[in-house]
Amino acid sequence: MKNKGLRIAEYLVTLLVIVTMNFFLPRLMPGDPFLHLSGDAGQEIVTFTKEQQEYFAAYYGLDRPLPEQYFRYLTGLTRGDLGFSYYYKDDVAAIILRRLPWTLLMVTAATLLSLILGIVLGSYSAWRRESWQDKATYLFMIIFSEIPAFLLGIMFLTLFAAALGLFPLSGGMTHFAGYTGWEKVKDILHHAALPVITLSLARSGGIFLLVRNTLTTVLGKDYMLTARAKGLTKRRIRYRHAMKNALLPLVTRVALQLGGMVGGAVLVENVFAYPGLGRLMRDAVFVRDYPLLQGIFLVLAFGVLAANLLADLFYRTLDPRTREGELHGKQEPDNGEQEGSSHVLA
Amino acid sequence: MFLLKISKIWQELTAFGRVGLVILLLLIFMAVAAPYITWQPHNISSGPSLKPPGGAHLLGTDELGVDLWSQICYGARVSLIVGLGTALLAGLGGAIVGTFAGYRGGWTERVLMRLIDIMIVMPDLPVMVILAAFFGSSLRNIIIVLALFSWSHPARIVRAQVLALKEQGYIKMARIYGGGDLYIIFKHLLPELIPILAVSMIRLAGMAIVTEAGLSFLGLGDPTSRSWGLIINHALNFSGIYFTPFWKWWLFYPWLFLTLLITALALLGRDLERIADPRVAKG
Repeated sequence: MKNKGLRIAEYLVTLLVIVTMNFFLPRLMPGDPFLHLSGDAGQEIVTFTKEQQEYFAAYYGLDRPLPEQYFRYLTGLTRGDLGFSYYYKDDVAAIILRRLPWTLLMVTAATLLSLILGIVLGSYSAWRRESWQDKATYLFMIIFSEIPAFLLGIMFLTLFAAALGLFPLSGGMTHFAGYTGWEKVKDILHHAALPVITLSLARSGGIFLLVRNTLTTVLGKDYMLTARAKGLTKRRIRYRHAMKNALLPLVTRVALQLGGMVGGAVLVENVFAYPGLGRLMRDAVFVRDYPLLQGIFLVLAFGVLAANLLADLFYRTLDPRTREGELHGKQEPDNGEQEGSSHVLA
Repeated sequence: MFLLKISKIWQELTAFGRVGLVILLLLIFMAVAAPYITWQPHNISSGPSLKPPGGAHLLGTDELGVDLWSQICYGARVSLIVGLGTALLAGLGGAIVGTFAGYRGGWTERVLMRLIDIMIVMPDLPVMVILAAFFGSSLRNIIIVLALFSWSHPARIVRAQVLALKEQGYIKMARIYGGGDLYIIFKHLLPELIPILAVSMIRLAGMAIVTEAGLSFLGLGDPTSRSWGLIINHALNFSGIYFTPFWKWWLFYPWLFLTLLITALALLGRDLERIADPRVAKG
C-alpha cells in the first residue's frame, strides 16, 4: 500500500504536467503572436513596427527567458490569475466564476442521482440475482450506459422537449420572467431536469454494475452465513452487513468516473445550450479565445484532480483495512479484483 | 482453421453480441461500398435543400441540398478510420509499454505505472478539446491525440497479464534454457496477449469514435471529413431546427447510425471480454 504523502505527490505531479502543458501549448503553436493579433479575413492587415513589437513583447513578458516566463506563469496561477480573454474583454477567472455554478449544479446533481439510481437498482438486481427482474434491469442499464451522454441528450431533447413540450428546449433559466424565490428555484430545476437526467442515466451503469457485483460477492462470504445463523433479520443482514461493504468501493468509483462525468457534462451542456463551462468552452473554441479555453481547461482539470485526491484520502480513513499495512497479505487479491472490474468499464 | 475459429467465437457469443457483430459488419460494408450503394454525390448539392426523405434522396437532404444517405455512407468511413487508427496506434503503444513494464519490473515498471496513473485521472475530453483547438483538427491530428490519451488502458491489462505469465513454469523454463528476452516475448508472451489486446482494442475503437463525434459536435472535427458528428453539429446549429420538421431526418439519421455503431461495438466488446477473460465476466 502506498502512503499518503506519495499519493499527494503524485497528484501534484499530474497537476504540474497539466499546467506545464498549458504553458507550452501556445508557445509551441506555429506562427507568431504578432501575426495573430493582426486582422481578420477581409480586414486591412495591421503590421507592427519594430518598436510596437518590442513594446508588446516587453508588456507580455515575451522577451524574458523561458524559465522566467514559466515561473511568472506559475506565480500568476497561484494568485488566481488565469489571463485575459480577448473576446469577452474580461478576466478569464471572472468569466469562469460566473459560469461555474451552473456546471457545479449539473455535475453534483448528476453524481448524486446516478449514485442513487445505481445503488437502488444494483441492490435490487443483486437480491434477485438470475431472476427475470435482474436480467431486465441489467439489460436496461447496460444499453443506457453504452450510449454516450450527448447522444442520449439529443434523444431526450427531441422527445421530451421538442415533440412533447414537457421541458424547455434550452438554457438554464427563463430570462426576463422576473421570477423570485420559489418560482425561480422551480424554473431552474425545470431547466436542469433533462440535462441532469441525461448525464445520470449515462453514468449510472458503472455504479449499477459495481454494486451488483460487490453485493453478490459479499453475499457469498462466510460472515453473511454467520449473520444468518445468528438469526438476524433479513433487513439487518442486507443493509447493515452487506450494503456497508458494497458501498465502500463506490467512493473511488465515483471519483474515477468524475473525469468522464465532466467530459460528458461539457457535451451535454452544449446539447441543451446550458450556460455552464462546457457551453463557454465551445464558445471559446468558436471564436478561438485561447486564454479563456485554457482557463476553463485548468479549472476543470483541477476540479477532477482535487476530487480524486479527496476520494483517495477519504477511502483510506473510511476503510480500516487500508490503514497502515494491517492485514497486508489479504490486501492484494481484493485490490486486483477491483482493478479487474473497474477496467471493464473504464 | 480461421473459419473454424470464427464459428467458434460466434457460438460463444450471446444474442446481444451477435446483434452487435451483425450491425458492425453492416456498417463496415456501408463504409467500404459507399461509392456503389449511393447514387448522389456526398459532397456537393444534388437537389433542393432540406427535402424530406423519399424519391431520389433516400434520407432527404441537408440545408445545402446535399444528399444525406451519401453523407452518412461516406461518414461511416471517417468513424471507421478514426476507430481503427486509434485502436491500432494506442493498442500497439499500450502493448509495448505494458509488456516492457511487466517484463522488466523494477523502477522502469514503477515509473511507467505512475505515468499510467497520471493518464487515468486526466479528464480526457477537455484535454482533447484544448489540443484539437491548438493543433488544428485534421483527421490525422485527431487520431494521434486520441491515441496519446488512450494507451493507458491496454497498457494496464497487458502488464497484468505479463506479470501473471512471467511466473508460469514454461516461461521460467524457457529462460533457464537460455531463451532471450525477445524470443520469450514473441514466442511465448505475444500469443497469450493477443486475445485480451484485441478485446481492449474494440473498446478503444468505440471510445475513439465517440470522442471524435463529440469533438466534431463541439465544432472541432475535421471540417473536410464530413463525419456523423459534424452532420449533427450542423443540424443543431441550424437555428430553431426543433420548430421545423427538418430534425426528423437531418438530425435523426446521423444520430441513429452513430448510436447504432457505438452500441454495437460496446455489446460486442462486452461479450468478447467475457470470452477472452472469464475472470471479469461476473458482470
